[in-house]
Amino acid sequence: MSLPSKAFQRWLHGVAPDASTSDVCRASGLKRTTLAQQMVRGKVAESSLVRISRALDVNPVAALASFDSYADLRGTPVPPTDAELISQIATMDLLRAVIARNDPGAPQHFELAAAPHETSVRNWVDAIDDGELRHRVSRATGIAPQNFSAHLSANRMPPELAVATAKEAGVGPAGGLIACGLVSPEEAGWPRGARRAALDRLGTAELVALAGERLQALGKSLHRQEHERNRTERIWENLG
Amino acid sequence: MTTVLPWLTLCVCVAMTAVRVPSAIRGQNRTMFLLFALLSADILLSIREPYLAIDAVLGGFNLANLLLRFMLYGTFLLLGAKTAAAFGSPAGLRAILGPAGITALLLVAVLTAWIFFSMDTRGSSPGLSGLGREPGLESYAALGRLYPGYVAACLLPGIWQAIRGAGPALLRFASGTLFLGLCLLLLSQGFPLIPESASWLRPAINYSAALACALGMGGIWLSKSLARRPGRG
Repeated sequence: MSLPSKAFQRWLHGVAPDASTSDVCRASGLKRTTLAQQMVRGKVAESSLVRISRALDVNPVAALASFDSYADLRGTPVPPTDAELISQIATMDLLRAVIARNDPGAPQHFELAAAPHETSVRNWVDAIDDGELRHRVSRATGIAPQNFSAHLSANRMPPELAVATAKEAGVGPAGGLIACGLVSPEEAGWPRGARRAALDRLGTAELVALAGERLQALGKSLHRQEHERNRTERIWENLG
Repeated sequence: MTTVLPWLTLCVCVAMTAVRVPSAIRGQNRTMFLLFALLSADILLSIREPYLAIDAVLGGFNLANLLLRFMLYGTFLLLGAKTAAAFGSPAGLRAILGPAGITALLLVAVLTAWIFFSMDTRGSSPGLSGLGREPGLESYAALGRLYPGYVAACLLPGIWQAIRGAGPALLRFASGTLFLGLCLLLLSQGFPLIPESASWLRPAINYSAALACALGMGGIWLSKSLARRPGRG
């Protein structure tokens, strides 16, 4: 889903009454034809809104919240849970943390890579899932469970689905928008350094177990990729 | 359409053969060159004018038709072996090159020749359409469709896996085209059910099948060439 153009125009007029569409596009780096096409179709992509908001110095989450379909984002930001914060730390950073904790000679201070990471959508859903989450999301939004899984595998999620998932899990509504890379943690009101603080609070045993799970998932996905590459190579070798 | 389709198919096959000449000279995958050359010859021999010319040389009793059958069996043996190896289906490969597959091929070939020589085939006519009511004609035609259909059935599951996989988009699309061509070959087993009023369907299905198979294999070649282009790894 996306934003209706009428509402988008109203919003744009509200935040930048004097700016023309071409001004907005120039400032945000959005292609004019892209935005024009989205307006004509009556569906403005959330990512366009986010880019324009940033260019106009408007908080993108607040901008989204002004649309009725994103009413859940209104109000004061809900602080993220530790599990959510950890889920937005890249696997390689978790492994670095494991090494740092267990080997005093290893570098103790390293910058966490910016969110999102390569499996952030799946890790976020795993972090907020009580075991029944997928069922509830599928009931609430009508999305088929296999389509939901496909989003997780592709590490993407439509923003509206991300908000609905957060709502069904009972966590802050913006977490999913961070996981799918639409907005940054700071834009969504996560305190600066919150991920690092959550990592520091995590016990070593739990950290190692979590890193192990991530590593196993990474191994599986690499295995699949390798299998796929071998299959492609064999077809090319024989028929190419 | 029924007059354009054969020539179009021939052009595509000849173009595919030509595209493979350089790599065949380098010694890479000569089987595929042979396969396309054979397929081109099959199509050529199935078109009226070339058929009449070649059959005249062979004595004018439709020996060209028997030749075409045997060339088709050879084409499908090559196509089956290469495609089963490509799509990694050991069961499919065994079914084509194993004892069962070779027995099926020999049986079909021997029966084809036996029925041909037991019929009165005098007078050149493409597709044996000019022959009188020969009792063996129906079985002769069915045998000609049977082996390609058998090979197609062996290949479909493996190709389906590749279509559903996560390979390059062009490769999957080309595999889908090949899949479609093989499905048409399976469909052609039902030719006796087609009423005379819709007899144009038969050549349409045959040539569409050949065209889809050729385009599919061409697409696979193209996807490889694009992926191996210098500067893109």
